[in-house]
Amino acid sequence: MTGYRPEWIGHRSRVQFAELLKVQSKLALREPLALFGGLALPAILLAVFGFIGQANPGNVGSTGLSIIDVWTPTILVLSFIFIAVSLPNTLVRDREIGWLRRVSTTPLHPSRLLAAQLVIDLILAAAAVLIVLLEAALVFGASLHVQILPFAVSLLVSIVELFALGLVLVALVPTQAVAQPVAGVVTFGLMFLSGLWVNPAQVGDPLRTIMYFSPSGAAVKAVLDSAFNGGPSYAALLTMAVYTVIFGFVAIRYFRWE
Amino acid sequence: MSAAAAVTVHHLVKKYGHLVAVDDVSLSIHEGEIFGIIGPNGAGKTTTVECISGLRAPDSGSISVYGLSPRNDRNKIREFVGVQLQESALPPRIKVREVVKLFASFYTNPLDPDQLLESLGIKQFSNSSFKNLSGGQKQRLSIALALVGNPRLAVLDELTTGLDPEARREIWSLIERMKDRGVTVILVTHFMDEAERLCDRLALINHGTVVALDTPEAIAARAGGSRVRFVPSQPVDEQTLRAIPGVNEIERKERYVTVTGTGDLAGSLINALAAIGVRVSDVEARTGNLEDAFIKLTKDDSLSVGKGIQT
Repeated sequence: MTGYRPEWIGHRSRVQFAELLKVQSKLALREPLALFGGLALPAILLAVFGFIGQANPGNVGSTGLSIIDVWTPTILVLSFIFIAVSLPNTLVRDREIGWLRRVSTTPLHPSRLLAAQLVIDLILAAAAVLIVLLEAALVFGASLHVQILPFAVSLLVSIVELFALGLVLVALVPTQAVAQPVAGVVTFGLMFLSGLWVNPAQVGDPLRTIMYFSPSGAAVKAVLDSAFNGGPSYAALLTMAVYTVIFGFVAIRYFRWE
Repeated sequence: MSAAAAVTVHHLVKKYGHLVAVDDVSLSIHEGEIFGIIGPNGAGKTTTVECISGLRAPDSGSISVYGLSPRNDRNKIREFVGVQLQESALPPRIKVREVVKLFASFYTNPLDPDQLLESLGIKQFSNSSFKNLSGGQKQRLSIALALVGNPRLAVLDELTTGLDPEARREIWSLIERMKDRGVTVILVTHFMDEAERLCDRLALINHGTVVALDTPEAIAARAGGSRVRFVPSQPVDEQTLRAIPGVNEIERKERYVTVTGTGDLAGSLINALAAIGVRVSDVEARTGNLEDAFIKLTKDDSLSVGKGIQT
């Protein structure tokens, strides 16, 4: 039990994590709910708005932006939402069947399982960004004027905030049977607030304010502003930061491995 | 504490709210033995081994596993304690070889996954998903996961529950081979035949307390030895029967007389009765076994209440 060297532990835990990532990725491919929600569904929804935009040229309200422009950020955030709410589907199940507990009897702490899942979902979110942006720009001619840094920051903060919300669901939802309807309701609420059906630019107060200061509405606002207007909305970024702290606190406070 | 003790448990107490699951369990498990923990449902068997494995924190008492504390040295303990949990499933689409290889990567000095699968007889299912395995195959996989880290101590909870007789026997011989390799095994079971066949020593737990701790044979002897039932050719009075060596208890039901006692009971009875001209027919003799002892020790409240018998 003696003679552990730090660099050796580092190497071993990298080997462990690589093996874990490999197996978790294979599982993700075999249970492709997040893949469908995170990649396919946004691509399809974007196409829907693309065709609506082609049939209705002109600007949305007073935004100076076309339909495809306005809805591209919404669809981006939607893909993050779908990936985030798929977290409870696997993790609540894994806890419910005793898998996390089983792993906790080995030298690997089950938090590494969670970390591997988050890494995979992060890669998935990055793929979603690439697919949606390419589709929007190349297929439907969205007039994106992206400034890389503010845009990347807005996307990253949106992802972190929504994943934290996904982890809140993992922490609070007791069983897989409960996870599905809860995730459904949360998804629906977030989709509405993100402006999928009615854009905040087209509605009056107080709904507009509520949307702008909701977890998904703030994400869309930050991404939209940095995609066209150069800088992100600091109010939206700050809103998301506050949500992230709250979600993070609740998720950590109530998280259970068993 | 002897140097050969792999696990020692001192005055372990664990409560779930108001329910006392384990109420003062003390035991010592020798290195290299198969130690059985038996007892009725809800007796505290699983809670005891979960505390030994470091999965639960005791409310009071102390546990030492190879000189380490399961809670405070949890990271070190996990390296050399392999655990098979009762009712623990794997992700449905994970594959057999994949998960054994994954678990092997968690340990410093693991066994070869392919050889392990081979020796467990599930090599041909390497590529099968967990959800498609039969009960016996799942159980073998679960054992593979407990063993792949090359543990010094294996904790196996309800090893053969739900298996057919053939699969049970195969798993038993597997456990015996583990013992041959020097692995200390803690086996939680409610099958008396399994405990009798495999275990070097047993702890019988009832209401959270150890009521017997001994070899299976010694515990079986507590059932009061043999029982003989017969029909005498003419009535025999109680005094005559009591005078026969080894006779403890006498019961009468219709024509039948049932005598419990020790030693060669049937032989002494037949000889003694023949000497006074009584013939016996319909003789049915049975030696006391672990199951009798189990029933006796767990039903008899004078034994199970309080501290019980400890050896």
